[in-house]
Amino acid sequence: MKSKHIYFAVGLSLLSLSSVLFYSCGSKTLANGTLLATEVPGNLKFNNFPADDPHSHLSGSRIIAFIPGSKRPSRVLTEDFYSACFPSVSYDGAFILFAGQREKDGPWQIWEMELENLKSREISSGVENCTDPAYLPDERLVFSKKIQNDNVKTALCLFTCKRDGSDLRQITFGPATNISTTVLRDGRLLTITRQLLPGAGDAMISVMRPDGTKADVFYMGERGTLPLGRVTETTEGKIIFTETDNSGLPGGSVVAINYNRPLHTRVNLTSGTSGRFYFALPLGKNIYLASWRNSDTDNFALYSFDESKKSLGEILLSDPGFNIIDVVPAGKHERQRRLPSEVDMEVRTGLLLCQNINFINPLTPVSGDEIHEATKIEVMGIDTTYGVIPVENDGSFYLKVMADTPFRIRILDKNDNMVNQPCSWLWLRPNERRGCVGCHDDPELVPFNEVPIAVKKAPVIVPVHITEIKEKIVELE
Amino acid sequence: MSWNKMGKYLKPIVPLGIIFILFAAFYSPFHKWAREHVDYITATNDHPLKCTSCHLYMQKSGIIYRMLNAKYYSPFNLALSDNGQYLYVVAEEGNALLMVDFARQKVIRKTAVGTRPHTVILDKEGKRAYVSNQWSDNVSVIDLKSFSVVDTLNTGNGPAGMALSSDGKYLYVVNSFSSDISVIDLTTGTEEKRLAAGNNPTGAGITPDGKRLFVTSRRTLSAPYDDALRCELTVISDSDRRVSERKNIESAYMMENIAFTPSGDLALFPLIRPKNNLPTIQVERGWMMTEGIGLVEMKPGGRTIQLLLDEPNAYYSDPFDIAVTPDGKRAFVSHGGVDRISVLDLDSVRKIMTESSDDVLKIYSDYLGISSRFVIKRIPTGANPKGLVISPDGKLLYAAEHLEDRIAVISTDSLCTVKTINLGGPRRITVARHGRRLLNNAGHTFQDQYSCYTCHPDVHEDGLVYNMASKDMGRNVTNTQSLRNIGDTPPYKWNGKNQTIYKQDGMRFSTVLTRTEAFSYKELDAIVSYIMTGVPNPPDLLYNPNGKLTEAQKRGKEIFERTHDMMGHEIPVVNRCVTCHPPPYFTNRQPADVGTLAATDDSILFDTPHLNNIFASPPYLHDGRAKTLEEIWTLYGKTEQHGSVNDLTKIQLNDLVEYLKSLRDPAYDHQKAEIHQASLGHH
Repeated sequence: MKSKHIYFAVGLSLLSLSSVLFYSCGSKTLANGTLLATEVPGNLKFNNFPADDPHSHLSGSRIIAFIPGSKRPSRVLTEDFYSACFPSVSYDGAFILFAGQREKDGPWQIWEMELENLKSREISSGVENCTDPAYLPDERLVFSKKIQNDNVKTALCLFTCKRDGSDLRQITFGPATNISTTVLRDGRLLTITRQLLPGAGDAMISVMRPDGTKADVFYMGERGTLPLGRVTETTEGKIIFTETDNSGLPGGSVVAINYNRPLHTRVNLTSGTSGRFYFALPLGKNIYLASWRNSDTDNFALYSFDESKKSLGEILLSDPGFNIIDVVPAGKHERQRRLPSEVDMEVRTGLLLCQNINFINPLTPVSGDEIHEATKIEVMGIDTTYGVIPVENDGSFYLKVMADTPFRIRILDKNDNMVNQPCSWLWLRPNERRGCVGCHDDPELVPFNEVPIAVKKAPVIVPVHITEIKEKIVELE
Repeated sequence: MSWNKMGKYLKPIVPLGIIFILFAAFYSPFHKWAREHVDYITATNDHPLKCTSCHLYMQKSGIIYRMLNAKYYSPFNLALSDNGQYLYVVAEEGNALLMVDFARQKVIRKTAVGTRPHTVILDKEGKRAYVSNQWSDNVSVIDLKSFSVVDTLNTGNGPAGMALSSDGKYLYVVNSFSSDISVIDLTTGTEEKRLAAGNNPTGAGITPDGKRLFVTSRRTLSAPYDDALRCELTVISDSDRRVSERKNIESAYMMENIAFTPSGDLALFPLIRPKNNLPTIQVERGWMMTEGIGLVEMKPGGRTIQLLLDEPNAYYSDPFDIAVTPDGKRAFVSHGGVDRISVLDLDSVRKIMTESSDDVLKIYSDYLGISSRFVIKRIPTGANPKGLVISPDGKLLYAAEHLEDRIAVISTDSLCTVKTINLGGPRRITVARHGRRLLNNAGHTFQDQYSCYTCHPDVHEDGLVYNMASKDMGRNVTNTQSLRNIGDTPPYKWNGKNQTIYKQDGMRFSTVLTRTEAFSYKELDAIVSYIMTGVPNPPDLLYNPNGKLTEAQKRGKEIFERTHDMMGHEIPVVNRCVTCHPPPYFTNRQPADVGTLAATDDSILFDTPHLNNIFASPPYLHDGRAKTLEEIWTLYGKTEQHGSVNDLTKIQLNDLVEYLKSLRDPAYDHQKAEIHQASLGHH
């Protein structure tokens, strides 16, 4: 136990020492070790991230810089903004991205601030809210933006752009709220996703490449729970985030999952601890900076938290009238992997291969009366069907789908009875190729080494009423 | 100032001025030319203009080569004396056996053995060591007291794994190239018989009861694309030294080694489960390669199963060796591709096997979650861990850090490396060595799922046909090609689209294959340097050991070079073998249509492959449809497009094939003497 204290003390000391530059000689430069926090005034409300206004509970928020354990006062970095939250620090530590609202009723936009002079410039534009930015390893950034169209109705989709705001690209296309995007060390994005159609679904953590390809479920909690706030990856391969319960109150428990097996390694780090947590930043082995409050009448303040003892340490920062809901270290940090992209915007379609829709996993057996052999699939859009397609004798199908269009698949037996509920919303990026073992397959199951009959033929074009698509012919590599 | 004085100053200024003017005049066009040249070589437009990258580090011989490169030991396999005091280390590149004193933690003796030694085993008395020399086709017998080679036993082609019979009278030597097993009578030093094994066998182990020898294979039994893979585990009865069983290990290959629990209830061997029949459209969800272990329940009617060692989002590529503790509780598997050793709890493995139905066990061979039930730790190691051995008391595990020139000593209790023993090889890491490490490491593949080595074991090829679906799925399947000695035979890929190795391994490589961040230019320079300089073909000791052709090969050579058919008609130049396959590499490096375009191929010409050591690269043709060289013509050469052969008799075709099998790396014509340098010849 003693070593834990030493660990924490050393960690804080290092943070403090390395941040001396921040406050010495009146310099405005933020050095490594300084922490940036988001503070929200008043009585924090529960928010389940509706697409139309996911950050309504953050009105009046601000970003502050502070040194943990220091007697020096914290400094507000976003005085020019009515609301500002969730900073993301550039790899060189010189800039931050944040979501900001100049005026009370104005739209949230993405801003980049140079920390040396605290000057900000607007990166996104328009009337729709943009939130939750994060730097990408390739001199781009990702953020959430509200969109409304026939494809998704109203959704909060992920976009990427260059740091000057140019080359804006939408990368998610499902009718869902996507927020709090984090870049994994492997270069992929984690984002909290909540399906909105046909009805509001449970939230989960999705994973995808920064071009929107290979989108997949990464973690799904128990029904009624909601991942919350910033998701953090540790160098030891843990993914840390907060998860609400179904009480309807803000905050919840701090949860850790393993990068290596995210669906089956959930550990509640704060079980048995009273009060509620809003956020936790891993600081060292078993040691966290955590925003916590004891009751609904308190504000969330920043504490140290020792996971091994399940105990809160000293209070590190509290601001009367404000809740501290997010903390991120300032300073240089390691760049994640820069992933290549298969997306080709001159191609209008993507390809989807399923190995066997009739595959029954003996690890998750179904009762006998549920087993029907599927012979067809129906590809469904939001308001329409894209067609019914027979599958091959081995249960495989191979589709050429219009890119960047959300669709779901349900499987049917020979009498057109639905064998299984439709899958979650999918989309394919232009020139993307994806494969799956079966419908509703276990994400831990790898494909069998068999050539699916479906790929011995040309792919079925979806929507099926289209017989030919004129698009760029991709050259053979 | 007088003219004389001015002249004194002008003397140096004028030539300097001329040089400056010349430099200014030539700099721009030279820079432009250099940029275009480098852009062509690298297929990028921003590779640094660094002449040394190619013009120094790709030298294959000479003073510069010797200055820039170094001779490493590259420890490969290990054996331990009964008292645990001495460790015997096969130095694969050093062509030597090293004796390490564990107490002094240093190499105390060294003896030269044959070329590319593979495995070392000790006799029961601890008096002799046997070292298989994979590129010399023999076994060095070493007297451990004098630490000198006292005998050399001839074997089949490519001796690798070895085991002694239970009575110590016979030595089983697994011949990895000729795919058989030499049974050597140690009393006479001669080969008593040779038993057929699986394809490219390497690992051998005698069961604890001494009754059976198990031999693992690396390549699959011949199977066309779209067929199920099978890799043979050969079982030999020790009493009569006959093959008693051939187990087909399904959907797996690269079973490098084998170990048994001391009680003999389980046989364990590492393996890879490739997904070559699937279009290579993603890496996520184990879509390309998975790694695991095979287990044989040794009781009568026992099952043979496979369990993955990988985890969701994390793969442990290129499992190589396996060692079991004396109490039978733990096993260790080295993963050359990720510099890790997996620690397996064998009681958990037994529990999984006991409580699971056959259906469930079958699923576990494709289930990434199962490893969490029996893998208790991944121990980090130095570069490219290979052979493992456990001390007699079970307290220490030794791991050969192949590309580190070190031995890691790991506590089997704390599961941490407690010390490393430096073998005394060169300290500096040359550019080519760095390239070799990169080629053997999966760190540049998404989630470490596979390394270059995985599909190119020993920098060769894995004998599989893949659907590299860079376009539509299910089309354009391709036969993996060897990386040995390819530096002078551009272009690359079957469609010849890559003019250099730089392009082959550059950005496109990361987009369509590794699907993670591309090699940095420094890393790419190193990879190219290694492939261009450091990957020789093994000698063709099976078909052309000394450069003298057999009578059949001579007849085949005449056919290969002929200008007229058997009827006396002149063969069109384009239909002569030698036109497209001229020496020394037997390729004209031009694209050709040899009548092999399949309905599933795009309409392209195929790059003419080089033919040296072609005998070692089945299957053949761009899509691997020909299982043997013969089939190229008997089944797939019915038109005259792939050479004029239809006038040949079967015997003449045999002669041609014999000649093709004799084609070897031209370097060996200059190195005949070196091939058997360390061989003493029996008696």
